[in-house]
Amino acid sequence: MSADASDLSLVRRVQRGDKGAFDALVLKYQHKLVKLVMRYVRNPAEAEDIAQEAFIKAYRALPQFRGDSAFYTWLYRIAINTAKNAVVSRDRSPVEYDLDRNNNDESYDMQGRMKDSETPEGLVLTDEIRSTVNAAIDALPEDLRTAIVLRELEGLSYEEIAAAMDCPVGTVRSRIFRAREAIDRRLREVFEGGLGRAEELG
Amino acid sequence: MNEELDSQLSAMFDDELLPAECELLARRLSRDEYLKARWGRYAIVGAVIRAERGVRLNAPLAGRVNAVLLAEPALAAHTAPRDRSRAPVRWWRPLAGAAVAAGVATVSILWLRTQAPLSGAPLVTQLAAPGQTTLPTAAASGQGDSYVVPRPRPAAVAVPSTELANYVVAHSMFSTPVARRNLLSAFMTSESAGAGTEEPQSDVKAIAQ
Repeated sequence: MSADASDLSLVRRVQRGDKGAFDALVLKYQHKLVKLVMRYVRNPAEAEDIAQEAFIKAYRALPQFRGDSAFYTWLYRIAINTAKNAVVSRDRSPVEYDLDRNNNDESYDMQGRMKDSETPEGLVLTDEIRSTVNAAIDALPEDLRTAIVLRELEGLSYEEIAAAMDCPVGTVRSRIFRAREAIDRRLREVFEGGLGRAEELG
Repeated sequence: MNEELDSQLSAMFDDELLPAECELLARRLSRDEYLKARWGRYAIVGAVIRAERGVRLNAPLAGRVNAVLLAEPALAAHTAPRDRSRAPVRWWRPLAGAAVAAGVATVSILWLRTQAPLSGAPLVTQLAAPGQTTLPTAAASGQGDSYVVPRPRPAAVAVPSTELANYVVAHSMFSTPVARRNLLSAFMTSESAGAGTEEPQSDVKAIAQ
């Protein structure tokens, strides 16, 4: 199996002018990228802004991407540089809450949470999504749960999981798919209900 | 939705799908909103399992990126002007090459025809060494195969010298009288023929230069 084949096929489509393929790449990596950027900035909203900027930079630089490295590795570097630059420019500019930050770390955390509070339904929904997924994983049969956790948490390949679980690669593929299907059924309900609730709030 | 398709999507998400299948599915994924939503939820499941705290799982990041990129031209459009200018060249370049090759071949054939005698003498006669004389009359009459008579080449004629004459005389005891006479006769003839064409000073001139 060629590593990064799926990303590369999406990247090639973007390079040929298909913006929808880039959308798929953003959907796949947005959480990873935000998590990565949060090593540099503590505010989730700011991390999202930086991640957004990194994605846009990556899109504009995609004509130069030749596939020598994995797409995520390349994207990772762009995100790191964007985050570093953002931190430098923020430190150079006068920040009103710097004094508060020195006096009381909690107030800095509050600044970050205040930005989040701009979308309170978002926070509620995030917690709901998290608890729903965790509950769905707990409800999975042992073999499905092990397969999906080895894949998502440990990052093992299907072949490695097959060796660990002593089963064919095809079985691993089927187990991971069935696990995702079971979780996705529950998750869809939350999204549909959550979106409905958000509309009511709006 | 087709279960096999969803299974392929799951495998593609994990980079575990064959490249050829990836190509097909990537095409569909980029257009199918249902698949894209499912793809996005797979990413959320992964984020929850990895306990990516602080990350808003419903953040509209993809939508925001998409909104910004809507205002930008597609990537293929950046390279389109260059492609457009080069595209015609690509298709007529082989034709132009073939036309040039055909032209060269035609000119060569015409040139050879103008050089060839109308009688259609064999080409070997035409290609004889410059130092050879042909006898076109014999060939033209069609009475036999053409042949070539070597022209007496001035350069090939040995420059008679006093040393050579002395050598012949000194060794005359080893040759028959007839052979000796023929040799001397040839010697005398060649000397008289080459007397007007020799340029013995050429080497000297070259060295002087």
